Amino acid sequence: MLENKVKDQLLKIVGEKGYLDQKEDLSCFSYDSFTEEAMPDVVLFPVTTMQVSDILKIASLYKIPVTGRGNGTSVCGAPIPVKNGIVVCFSKMDKIIEVNTKDRYVIVQPGVINADIQKALAPFGFFYPPDPGSMTVSTIGGNVAQNAGGPRCLKYGVTVDYILGMEVVLASGKVVRFGSKNIKDVTGYRLSSLFCGSEGTLGLATEIILKVIPVPETVQTLMVTFDNLDNCAKAVTDIIGSGILPAAMELMDQMTLNAIEDSSALGLDRDAKGSLLIEIDGVKEACDKEMVKIIEKVKENHATNVQTAASAQERDALWTARRAAYGVFARMAPDIVSEDVTVPVSRVPEMVRRITDITDRYGLKVGILAHAGDGNMHPLVPADKNNKDEWNRVTKAFEEIFKAAADLGGTLSGEHGIGLAKSAFLPLVMDKDSIEFMSQIKKCIDPDNILNPGKFA
Amino acid sequence: MKTTQNCGKCGLCLTVCPVYKELKEEQASPRARLQLIKSFEKQDIASSPHLKQIITKCLMCGSCAAMCPSGIDHYSKFMDMRKKMVQDHGETPAIKSLIWLLAKEYRLSIAGKVARAGQNLIPAIFKEKYQLGNIALQHFPEFNRIPFRDSLPEVVEPAGTAVGKVVYFTGCATNYLFDDTGYSAVNILKKMGYKVIIPKNQTCCSIPMLFHGASDGATHNIVTNIKTLASEPDVDAIIVDCATCGTALKKEYPSFVTNIACSKKSVDKTNTTVKNKSDGSNNNSINNDIIKMANQISLKTTDLLSFIEQRIDLLIPLLAANRSRIKDSKVSTVTYHAPCHLKNSHTGFSHVERLLEALPSVKYNKATDVDQCCGGGGTFFYEYPEISRKMVEKKIVNAEKTGSDLWLTDCPVCRINLAGNAGTISRHGDIKKDKMPLIHPIFLINSLI
Repeated sequence: MLENKVKDQLLKIVGEKGYLDQKEDLSCFSYDSFTEEAMPDVVLFPVTTMQVSDILKIASLYKIPVTGRGNGTSVCGAPIPVKNGIVVCFSKMDKIIEVNTKDRYVIVQPGVINADIQKALAPFGFFYPPDPGSMTVSTIGGNVAQNAGGPRCLKYGVTVDYILGMEVVLASGKVVRFGSKNIKDVTGYRLSSLFCGSEGTLGLATEIILKVIPVPETVQTLMVTFDNLDNCAKAVTDIIGSGILPAAMELMDQMTLNAIEDSSALGLDRDAKGSLLIEIDGVKEACDKEMVKIIEKVKENHATNVQTAASAQERDALWTARRAAYGVFARMAPDIVSEDVTVPVSRVPEMVRRITDITDRYGLKVGILAHAGDGNMHPLVPADKNNKDEWNRVTKAFEEIFKAAADLGGTLSGEHGIGLAKSAFLPLVMDKDSIEFMSQIKKCIDPDNILNPGKFA
Repeated sequence: MKTTQNCGKCGLCLTVCPVYKELKEEQASPRARLQLIKSFEKQDIASSPHLKQIITKCLMCGSCAAMCPSGIDHYSKFMDMRKKMVQDHGETPAIKSLIWLLAKEYRLSIAGKVARAGQNLIPAIFKEKYQLGNIALQHFPEFNRIPFRDSLPEVVEPAGTAVGKVVYFTGCATNYLFDDTGYSAVNILKKMGYKVIIPKNQTCCSIPMLFHGASDGATHNIVTNIKTLASEPDVDAIIVDCATCGTALKKEYPSFVTNIACSKKSVDKTNTTVKNKSDGSNNNSINNDIIKMANQISLKTTDLLSFIEQRIDLLIPLLAANRSRIKDSKVSTVTYHAPCHLKNSHTGFSHVERLLEALPSVKYNKATDVDQCCGGGGTFFYEYPEISRKMVEKKIVNAEKTGSDLWLTDCPVCRINLAGNAGTISRHGDIKKDKMPLIHPIFLINSLI
């Protein structure tokens, strides 16, 4: 618990409208989309960089834990304040400061919702590529903290690839700025790569300059089904291997297709063992050519049905299905575990097999969903946390899934981040010295370990 | 049975919650309310006035439930929780007296007359000065001279060839405030060839009472309405002109009476000596017949405009005949506000837009935020005027941008809230002097036949 004199100082910084400390309110900041919960002592809503800096000055003076939060959609527990203390919620720091498509950048505050950036860019014919499944609600601050990805990151790259510059408040309250509005900038260390993905353990971003790009001329979408999951996964490697880089390539297995169809009747094929949602974009003539080649490849892998989205509406419907998948699995059990292990594309068929084997062995249901083009797997396991036996099996199965990914030259997380969910498994993919090196960086920037303590660093 | 635990906390409900969008604070979101209900049920969080405030700072618009990928019924959960909170912490005197009025038709009727007299007595200076919620007193609609249902016979015969028969559930708003909606509806239905039955015994649908946890008073009204509406066999439809009443008849009545019957059974089974004194007499009247009737009513309940749109071939000749009579070919431009309870119902609101597009000499201008909540929300505008005002101001700006002559909406609370804040008194008699008067779409259609 915080002393009253500390609370008074914090209240003075943000004012009554930006301050919560009643239990009922605090408990609404104890969770994200992961399965753990922990209560903060106080929640603050700063609206200026100055306020964030003042908050951190107090926090470092009294060594109070500080956890940043946007709209709380992390699926790995990153914004859960496991050591209590202060939650700094950025939802009200939500201004788009500048849209400049001539120089190809936007400047935003951390509380801006990803989809609102897209909306602001659309009239200029531009977009910001990273598109996490939560993009209609997740904030850019959270996207940056977790280095979020999404379906079209297969072709376009993830959040870190689009950060030109940042303004960050350090644990001490000092404000640092790096990068610039320039697309090319090799002045000094590329610190965006350090802070992006640091999950709020190194500093709190208060302003971000993002690179934006023109919307491609055409988009073509294709849905393919297979009566064999191995063929489905192999089609992925064949297409990528043939030199085509689709904007997105989403794999859904039978359980996922049926779960989505149960939620809203979209006419998905319930009998298919696996499906691929493939999207290519670019100049029309090039897309036409690529489409022919893709169809050829899926047919070689015995596709049972090939369907092209004839209209923008049909395309939207196919994507609606894919985007709803995560929530749909919440219907099946009180809890849902979704991980994002990633393997090299050529190992996707093997990884799909292993996930199925492991979950079978533990008697668990699994829906396999994947951004298959970049090997980013999303096994979704519905379960009941209150059922000790089942939860035990879930934990063990995921341990094995992490090991399997490491085995195949893969990694723990492709886009969700480590958070609470995977910090114990870092040694699977990083050796001792490398982990130690990360700790040294953390100690140097946040010597009192007040920033998002209890997480991976 | 679904429990609050099935919320995957994905946060997608934050994108549609009008209160969250305004406040940007998690505790004002549907996801947070579910979390608090769960904590309350597990006794991690105790009942408190503050908890009550968080739970009721909600428009009950149903948008979260309509979009939840996990299919959670937020609406019912919130209704139950509101009831518990009101039991523990009571209501403000103003809300209490509203509930008291709505519970008995005769009280409403008297109150309507008194209020009408009162409105005429209040000096103009007071009307200008005082506010009710976010609305200046002078911008409230006047009460009907006579309650709508008293001004018509119980059965109105069709004009011309008879094609069928409908029951008209008028709701309190049409009965006491907006009889222009009622007369228009009856006239159109009559001319389309329908016999219109307007049962005298019908009463408040009870949704406002349920929002404020007064389920005992609600039980009496609900049973009365079910018996009244089911007493007319072989009707083509039970017509509602208010989306909230529609939700009540379509969705809430069957589950409400089934729940009461279930809880009654379990009380009987355990043979407990504890007597539920307030519910007792009403519970006894709920049996399988009532449940059956509630389900039949649910099937027959149809939104007025949706009923007409489905039978547009009966309307078109009426529109054409009128057009040939009138030489003046002035086109009126209209914009529309979709009430949340219509948008989130099974019909959606596309039928209203189709109907408007089909009207001759009417040009429909869609507002960019046609389906965004106006912030009225039953009594929300009264309880949380600051939040409500911000929402309604955006609506007014966007409606004015369409440059339309008329602003249409088919929910009486939206109408009071929008018109009250825009400063346009929404009485049909005042149409000419208002800059963009608010009317029910049915009034516009009636003026074209």
